[in-house]
Amino acid sequence: MQKVIGESKKAFITGNEAVAWATLAAGADIMFGYPITPQNEIMHYWTRLAPKYGRGFLQTEDEISAGFTVCGAVQGGKKAFTATAGPGNVLMQEPFGMAEAMRLPVVGIIQQRGGPSSGTVIYSQQEVTLTTFGGNGEGHRIVYSTSTHQEMYDYTIKAFNTAWKYRFPTFILGDGYQAKMREPLEMYNPEERGIDLVKPFPLLGLEGNIGTDREPQHLVNIYSLEEELYDVVMRVSKEYESIAPEIVEYEENLCEDADVIILTHGVVSRAADDAVKALRAQGIKAGSFRPITLRPFPRQGLLDVLAKTNAKKLLIAESAYGQLDKLVKQEIFGEQIEIENLFMPGVGIIDYHIISKIKSIL
Amino acid sequence: MITQQNKARIVEAFVGEYASGKSEIAINRALELKGLNHQVTLVDLDTVEPFYTLRPLKALLEGKGLNVISYTREDSFGLGETGAMLNPAARWALMNKGDIILDIGYGIHGAKTLNLVEGAYESSELRIIAVINYTRPMTNSPEKVREYLLELGRLDGIIANTHLGNQTTLDVIVKGNNEILRVANELNIPVDYMGIDKTMYEEISDYKFEIPVKFIERYMVNAMW
Repeated sequence: MQKVIGESKKAFITGNEAVAWATLAAGADIMFGYPITPQNEIMHYWTRLAPKYGRGFLQTEDEISAGFTVCGAVQGGKKAFTATAGPGNVLMQEPFGMAEAMRLPVVGIIQQRGGPSSGTVIYSQQEVTLTTFGGNGEGHRIVYSTSTHQEMYDYTIKAFNTAWKYRFPTFILGDGYQAKMREPLEMYNPEERGIDLVKPFPLLGLEGNIGTDREPQHLVNIYSLEEELYDVVMRVSKEYESIAPEIVEYEENLCEDADVIILTHGVVSRAADDAVKALRAQGIKAGSFRPITLRPFPRQGLLDVLAKTNAKKLLIAESAYGQLDKLVKQEIFGEQIEIENLFMPGVGIIDYHIISKIKSIL
Repeated sequence: MITQQNKARIVEAFVGEYASGKSEIAINRALELKGLNHQVTLVDLDTVEPFYTLRPLKALLEGKGLNVISYTREDSFGLGETGAMLNPAARWALMNKGDIILDIGYGIHGAKTLNLVEGAYESSELRIIAVINYTRPMTNSPEKVREYLLELGRLDGIIANTHLGNQTTLDVIVKGNNEILRVANELNIPVDYMGIDKTMYEEISDYKFEIPVKFIERYMVNAMW
């Protein structure tokens, strides 16, 4: 593969560009997409860069088609991806469901915007429920929620490996702020950091005769018998649960002696980190917990933190009206810690908001 | 008398790669001219994604005496993406008296966006100036800078604006801007000056640069939309 990053050096870059470069560095063969803010520059930069590196692009007629063309390309053994937001993410749930049903290594970058409907083009964290449990299935997908440009770069590379290794659709959940914000970032070729890139392989048109040389490939998204569907969903659920411990990632910071734990994800966790520093400087013992994988959720990690902490209160803060809150509560059902909320749907949360809220509840 | 005044006025359009620093340079240039007691109009011409511009700074900049042509949050409230239309005042911006600074958003189309401004191509006063940051991935080698400048079309000047945000060092500035200077010389495009964050003042004070330096106050960091 042609080296993408000439010499590893720092660049001043937006989050969308970081994703475009990361998909190139990860060896993505083709992007299918349909324009929507705030992910547009992923597409813009991919279309500027792809021809220089022999990669492909197709702008489809809508998001439904973009999702399904990704489903098709990965069956042909191509590392394919798409990027979308808001109502585009809604439309893509049908193809993403197909990817769950047929175990297709689809990669999607979601840059959340305000909702419902067309909402705003700016920012929110209101696509958590949709990205983790969208579609008419059981949420058999992997969702990384990033908080910095470096993470957007690192986890985009990782997403292709995760998708192709486990064959579950895999998503990077960013947002409009991360998409547009400018930060210095160190880009690199993954191979030079010892990261092996999983080689893609065709799922169809395989060599050999079925029955004698190999087992048939059952890539199925419709069943005529309920029992057949039941068996498949139960088997996939079991497999998903068994690999979950290998996939989950989270960060915790100063929770052990904390009086209060701030639980956030994505870009809001940067505000939480600042809030912890400021509160501690004022003598208030705050800690923070941040799931990096929203699906599968780092349940055990959070339970371990709750078991060792002194904290009596958990503040869940998000730029949505309770989507993270719902995810967390279903995972820690039965725990005694008191849960407080800071819900700011569609608007940014900064340290000041969290600090004020903490002071009002302690 | 009026004709003379018009001829002497400054009309500059800043173009360049997405996130190269156009808005920051445009704001600083407008305020510099205001400081010289000029009458100055600053025009926000980002028609691609007008939500990510100097719009949130409009009131602040007007408070400093600039005439700012840009929508405000209130102007577009409730319009959704239909709020992304050309401001009629921007179309007729050159009819304003005094100096005109045009911030051409988004980058890819360069000076082509000026077709939206009445009289821009015919203007004998207009200078089209590219803002280049050598740490931007599409302009981080001499070949890429050359290719990019040629893509932009007509250019009357360049501002070397190499920086890495909060991680800028003298080394980053010198290496990057020297490469920009070299390519600009080859292409016979004058480099007007270097834009350097004023917080770097102490760090670079002993260094002798080949071209003038203008210290930049960063306003766009506060443009949280």
